[in-house]
Amino acid sequence: MLTYGIVTIGLGASLAASHRVFSQYLMLGLSLGLLALAIVALWDFQSIHLWSPYFQMTPLRAWFLLVVGIVSTMAAWYRVGYQQHNQVFTGFWLPWFVLAMAAVILSQTVWVFMTAWEIMAATSFLLVVSHHEEPGVIKAGYIYLVMSQISATAILAGLLLMAASLHSMDFSLWTARARFLPWGTKSGVFALLTLGFAIKSGIIPFHVWLPRAHPVAPAPVSSLMSGAMIKLGVFGIVQFLLMDLGATALVWPIVLLVLGAVSSLLGVLYALMEHDLKRLLAYHSIENVGIIFLGLGVMGVGIDLHHPQLAVVGLVAALFHTLNHALYKSQLFLAAGAVEQHTGTLDAEHLGGLIRTIPGVALGFLLGSMAISALPPFNGFVSEWLTFRGLLSLATGFRGLWAASAMGLALVLATTSALAGMCFVKASGVTFLGQPRRPVAQIPLGRSITAPILGLALISLALGVFPDPVVRVMGSIDPAASYHAVALLLPLKTTLVAVLLGIAVVALVLLARPSQVREVPRWACGGDATTAMQFSSSSMTKAIRTTFAVIYRPHRQLTRIGENSRDFPERLVYKGGTTPTWERYLYRPGYQMAWWLSKSTARIQAGPVRLYLTYLLVAVGMMLLVLH
Amino acid sequence: MLWGVQGISVVVVIMMAPLVLGITQIVKARLQGRRGPSLWWGYWVLAKTWGKETTVPEYSSWIFRVAPSISLAAMVLVAATIPWAGRVPTPWPHDLLTLFFLLALERFWVGLAGLDSAGTFGGLGSSRITTLGAGIEPALFAAFGVLWAVSGCTTISTVVGHLSLLPWGMAAVSYGLVMLAELGRLPIDNVDTHLELTMMHEATVLEYNGRLLAENQAAIAVKYTAMLGLGWVWLSPSLESPWITAVLHLSEIMVTAAIVGGIESRFAKLRYFQIPTYLAMASGLGLLAFYLMMTGGLN
Repeated sequence: MLTYGIVTIGLGASLAASHRVFSQYLMLGLSLGLLALAIVALWDFQSIHLWSPYFQMTPLRAWFLLVVGIVSTMAAWYRVGYQQHNQVFTGFWLPWFVLAMAAVILSQTVWVFMTAWEIMAATSFLLVVSHHEEPGVIKAGYIYLVMSQISATAILAGLLLMAASLHSMDFSLWTARARFLPWGTKSGVFALLTLGFAIKSGIIPFHVWLPRAHPVAPAPVSSLMSGAMIKLGVFGIVQFLLMDLGATALVWPIVLLVLGAVSSLLGVLYALMEHDLKRLLAYHSIENVGIIFLGLGVMGVGIDLHHPQLAVVGLVAALFHTLNHALYKSQLFLAAGAVEQHTGTLDAEHLGGLIRTIPGVALGFLLGSMAISALPPFNGFVSEWLTFRGLLSLATGFRGLWAASAMGLALVLATTSALAGMCFVKASGVTFLGQPRRPVAQIPLGRSITAPILGLALISLALGVFPDPVVRVMGSIDPAASYHAVALLLPLKTTLVAVLLGIAVVALVLLARPSQVREVPRWACGGDATTAMQFSSSSMTKAIRTTFAVIYRPHRQLTRIGENSRDFPERLVYKGGTTPTWERYLYRPGYQMAWWLSKSTARIQAGPVRLYLTYLLVAVGMMLLVLH
Repeated sequence: MLWGVQGISVVVVIMMAPLVLGITQIVKARLQGRRGPSLWWGYWVLAKTWGKETTVPEYSSWIFRVAPSISLAAMVLVAATIPWAGRVPTPWPHDLLTLFFLLALERFWVGLAGLDSAGTFGGLGSSRITTLGAGIEPALFAAFGVLWAVSGCTTISTVVGHLSLLPWGMAAVSYGLVMLAELGRLPIDNVDTHLELTMMHEATVLEYNGRLLAENQAAIAVKYTAMLGLGWVWLSPSLESPWITAVLHLSEIMVTAAIVGGIESRFAKLRYFQIPTYLAMASGLGLLAFYLMMTGGLN
């Protein structure tokens, strides 16, 4: 019944899209419906009867539906006040995109899953190219389309391999039987599905589409893609690989751990070099998916070693981080969209001082920054704490080099979280604080833009202060695990820490509030203060660029202009940048190879009719020979 | 009784923080052939700063005014998280990772305040301390490697009695190196310098004045005392009686403050781009101690 209801609402929303306000409220209704469905299912999943045998509800699916529901509700709310070109185009495809994501999560057979997956890929491509009249948008969209088609092919191959080995397309049978497959088949499935889902999640080295697609898409679309869509890769890995396949001789969990560590560290390092707010956030999505993969890897090792507690820590850490990242990342993307709406640019080098013109958005971005930097008392802190705890259990559960390697992963995560903190000091500091670096537009924003951003911040804070009920819900996702899940949080006591911190801060602010404050000019060594003397986005990270020169391979060019330019230049022009390693050494050769191959094929294809007749004759002759 | 010990210890730690800073200053001065300030110098400086007029730079926002309170609150909480008696009453938080992230919280707000001052030096300072933080956080993690190896959990407890002298020594050296970096002491940062181009933490608070500066100074003092004490809480033995343990830990802080004064007059400041090597050394040492513990070779 519910399915029919949702589908009808979605259809209605799309048909009514020509009327702007009506379509917005229908989108909101659809998202709220999904959210309600997810909450009811998390309460008691057996009470939900979907359209069997095509759709089914399980606690895991309810969890991911919750993620989609929250993000799309907030994006729909935000759209009420968000101005963009091609409003109708986006309004038409958005409900389809959300419905397709829900269908992917709830699907019960291979065909439904793949159909929904492809609809999701196609609609998200159309949404990415919403502003297709602007330069560069179509190219970014095509890169995304190609990557998502490679991902879909790998996933289809993996699912068909599994279906062929189990003689069934029904996912509920897979849950019962897949764990008894031979090691070779499991490895094949694992390799194909990990490839497919990792591309969709933006794991390095398959990440190239993410920092291209996000900046060009409208803000609600970026927030949906980064908050919800890339999490479906995580869903696929948990559902098919970790829960269905079960133990895999430790090789594949280690692959997940390595992918996670590489993505989290490189993701944040690349993010630090970005000046475009949305590209920066896109790289942080890569980093956070890396952290989620670390949790998944811990879970995988736990399953392989038959160590239920390790498996539970990993699962809870990964799922909790999935929800948290969805919350604060969509909050940050919506805030970035508001900045773009307000000033017309996303380049942090041109911004500054926005806290005075859009204080609400600035507060939202700041709170999101604290959450994503894993600072207490926000939710990011709890899930990173759980991931750390999982990695430490891994480290102390092994001996010798294995233990040291697991400890190394924890150190990578520590570096990542410190660098993320730095990156968000930079992003929020350079964008919102200080003096404007260039004169930019200041278009006033409506309240409906700020409200969803702050709403998401409030949810993040609530989850950080009271994580226990959420963790209890997550414990029920793995039936074997409900006993341990809440006990995990015992040493944390976030509620107490948050309350103490809050009391201390308020008391100190009141205590130290001076009777009167005088504004004075900044210290500029006795000279006149100018805008240019502030630190910029690139000067903030200069030391990182030098320290990690192996990874960035920075280059710079200094041109001296004027007479006697060698010794007394009148003007200096500085150009600097970093080398896009993956693009240059992996994707460029791959692209050239594909190009060369298709050119070589063209040589035998573009011939006269006689040549084609010869091919035909030779083919028939060979067929006769073989059949003979 | 544990409640009482913990509560009183935390209050004492916070109250004696300026004194501990004073001890370091005096030792430093004596070793350099000066007479040095009086023991109560720290309190006097705080009182003097508190009484001055508060000014804020133009273009700054509420962030600049709130940041000192948040860093001081975070540091007070860091002091409260450390189990001074070796153990705490059950519902009290004493989780090491929470402590790390409270330090990160302070760094985040100090960094923001630096950028909010809209001057060159604020930005310079926040760039430097956050870059430093990226090395400090994993190094802190690694320094506590033997604690993870011994207890397998993230609460703060003593490691003495569970391991032999060599891994203990490695952990102690590793912690010492990271602690000096986190506190912004030589050979990483010189707290006495006011040369704009070389300072780090001082640069972020350059524009502060009056009560807000006093809060910042108090935060630095509490952090100094708490971090010195944290080293003793996990690296020295915890006795049967909580009162004696707490008194012992608190007096050990004074001794360490004097030692830091000695180190400060012995070493010069490292070049900024050599700091990553220094921190990598600290992490490497901690990781090695952990590895040796996990091979079972040193138990």
